[in-house]
Amino acid sequence: MTLDPRITGRIEYGQDQRMDGMLHARILRSPHAHANVLSINTSGVPSGVVTLTRDDVADLEPLYGPMVKDQPIVARDRVLHVGDAVAAVAARTLREAEEALELIEVEYAELPGVFDPVEAADGAAPRLHEGIEFPADLRPDGHNVCHRFRLKSGLGNDGFAAADVVIQDSFAIAGAAHVPMEPHATLAYWEGGRLHLITGTQTPFNVRRDMAALFRIPEEMIRVVVAPMGGSFGAKTFMRLEPITAALARKARRPVRAVLSRAEEFITVNRHPAQFRMRLGANRDGTFVAKSVDAWWDTGAYADCGPSVCTKGGYAAVGPYRIPHVTVDSRCVYTNMPPAGAFRGYAATQGVWASERMTDLMAERLGIDPLELRLRNLLREGDRFATGEVMHDVRFAECLRSAADAVEWGEGRKNKGLAVMLKGMQTPSRTGVALEIDAGGHVVLRSATTDMGQRPGTAQRNLASRALGLSPELITVGPNDTDLVPFDTRTTSSRSTFMMSNAIREAAHDLRQKIAERFEVAPEDLVLSDEGVGVAGSPDLIRPFADLAGLRGDGTFVTPGGLDPDTGQGIASSHWHQAAASAEVSVDPQTGVTTITRLHTAVYAGNVVDRAGAELQNEGSTIFGIGTALFEGIVFEGGQVTNGNLSDYEIPSMLDVPEFTYDLLEGGEHSHGLGEMAVPVVPAAIGNAVAAAGHPVRNLPMSAESVLGAQ
Amino acid sequence: MKIAVRVNLHSVELEARAYETLLTALRGAGFRSVRLTCGIGVCGACTVLIDGEPISSCLVLAPAASGADITTTESLPDDDPVGVAFQEVSAFQCGYCTPGFVLTTRALLSENPNPSDDEIRHALAGNLCRCGSYTKIAEAVRLAAESMRG
Repeated sequence: MTLDPRITGRIEYGQDQRMDGMLHARILRSPHAHANVLSINTSGVPSGVVTLTRDDVADLEPLYGPMVKDQPIVARDRVLHVGDAVAAVAARTLREAEEALELIEVEYAELPGVFDPVEAADGAAPRLHEGIEFPADLRPDGHNVCHRFRLKSGLGNDGFAAADVVIQDSFAIAGAAHVPMEPHATLAYWEGGRLHLITGTQTPFNVRRDMAALFRIPEEMIRVVVAPMGGSFGAKTFMRLEPITAALARKARRPVRAVLSRAEEFITVNRHPAQFRMRLGANRDGTFVAKSVDAWWDTGAYADCGPSVCTKGGYAAVGPYRIPHVTVDSRCVYTNMPPAGAFRGYAATQGVWASERMTDLMAERLGIDPLELRLRNLLREGDRFATGEVMHDVRFAECLRSAADAVEWGEGRKNKGLAVMLKGMQTPSRTGVALEIDAGGHVVLRSATTDMGQRPGTAQRNLASRALGLSPELITVGPNDTDLVPFDTRTTSSRSTFMMSNAIREAAHDLRQKIAERFEVAPEDLVLSDEGVGVAGSPDLIRPFADLAGLRGDGTFVTPGGLDPDTGQGIASSHWHQAAASAEVSVDPQTGVTTITRLHTAVYAGNVVDRAGAELQNEGSTIFGIGTALFEGIVFEGGQVTNGNLSDYEIPSMLDVPEFTYDLLEGGEHSHGLGEMAVPVVPAAIGNAVAAAGHPVRNLPMSAESVLGAQ
Repeated sequence: MKIAVRVNLHSVELEARAYETLLTALRGAGFRSVRLTCGIGVCGACTVLIDGEPISSCLVLAPAASGADITTTESLPDDDPVGVAFQEVSAFQCGYCTPGFVLTTRALLSENPNPSDDEIRHALAGNLCRCGSYTKIAEAVRLAAESMRG
């Protein structure tokens, strides 16, 4: 056995990439949340150090962004958040770069800022962006709302008239930090007019497309090589360090590497803080009648993927329930906070918290067992969700029963809580993959799925092995390089295993077809084995794979869909992530400290393709959920992060994690992603348990103070 | 300044300024299994063994390590019982924190060949894994302990 390079530490992440003559980048950042930039003076910087300011990028597109072009490479006239990039330097050593930053003089004129999405949506708040062009599918509203997702089903709010009981409540969820152990890291160099990026990203094809637009060059003039990531959790989606590093490399005419500091991680991209106002109407027997969701998502200074977050969080807050009349009004709002973006549990974490606390508040109001109330209303096979789409392969009740059984729900509900959720997958989306025979007789899997520790290579080798009927050892995973891999939308939303399982099946079919053509036989007469290719009826004629080098099968899988932003009708998700959790807690009445005594998650896994990987993903999701539930929250003061280090912002250690159990519910026709299903349900189950212990919490995280103060 | 140390049983001269950390000096010398995350001695990603003791190299000034016997994971042999246990159990995801866990485990097991679950949790509480592989890491430590006891 050879030890895995992740154990010996010989694996090279983005931050370990290096080239001869490479310069090190550092970024000068705004100390103000909102200010005019009056002047930038770099004349004190030594001549050997390359500087980058707004004057150096005047020939490029002024703005970029995955959904709204609203972010400059470096500040133009204004800075919009603490940490906004104002200038950058590249020097032979990191130390030299850091010293050079101190020598740049910037003159600011401070402006009033806005730090709350509800206030920012108000007409009196300062306006953050002027003259932005919004794409046609977005619904900007007022001067800081960059997208408003609305959904109406049945009679909408008029439906409440038919309910016996209507409750309303408010919920808030703090921003959180991804804390990938490896910070963001990018190496850029230009060669013959072509830009090469070696970068830790979950979205190589988004980066290639958006960099091409920004630098005004064809996509073919950009090559993105994805380095293995030391964790990401959504942080390394879309463009982060790529624009500024490439611009520095262009000016320096040398390779440049940028690696963020830990403090910079907290001001680069975070989880959206969110606020909800919710109403729920039901009949006395517990049947849900109507629901309304009002949500405000604080996307910070730049939209990033916020419009998609407010959409997915908007419908996730409806919950996996049959409700005849639903209204959602979900606003993605600019503020002078650091940008928020994709985060493991993507928007469902916030929506499910509000929705599942609301379900328990209704159970309490009606005097009905929270399990019974949920089972009575859960979506079943063939039901229509609030988006109008028909639900298939429905497992919510199975998940919920597994969760309830694990905490012996029937034996008493004291200090126990449940939660159940649906979470969408990126839809529409597209995945291509290729299986190519190489000269060494291996089948090379060419896949754009990025590796952030979720073992995509193992899962996809197993999928290819099954599809071709060969041992996994015969399959190798090729380099993740946009020059070499077919297009794939991105590695997000736990979509890769599902999408790739379908695309790999197609590619295997195509490869068999190509081999059959070479042999001039029918594909069904081919016999593939680890020894090579044979033909049925001629057992002695086996050709080794090496003889077929160069043959390649291609597969593509596409999911159509999408939602109308005005009505919320359409296809939200081509298939659904389904999960439930249960918790039992004890709360110290003197201190408010919550101790988890039992915790269980149940997730619909479909066909598991990598057992250890599936377990690791679900265990990791559960632990992520514990952090979000009890202590993870970024504290801001006037847009400034006040706990931006790992002493003040704590992530779970072994001592924070109780023993927990889980079920991976298998079955059905498909392989499912399960990288983030426990994240949304764990906080909600713990919250409902804390409420059952006499502390009706409404906000995350459930700090000891907030638990004691909950009325 | 030049700082003479032994790394993985080989003599090495680290090049560092007086105010630079051992972490910076080791990475500069090519030992990239030693990694910066928090920079304040909280996370354990920069763990090395100094004379067998797990130390956060981000908190040690490079000159203070002069003459030290330092262990990193780069030279871990393929039959290392801790490494083998981590591999057999799949006790890692992204792997960034793994060298720190492996070294802390080695130090724990050399002092306490048969740790209880609680002792494992306390010994490894100074190493953070954001991917959340703790359950399998604890399992790997138990397996390594078992195989080292023979």
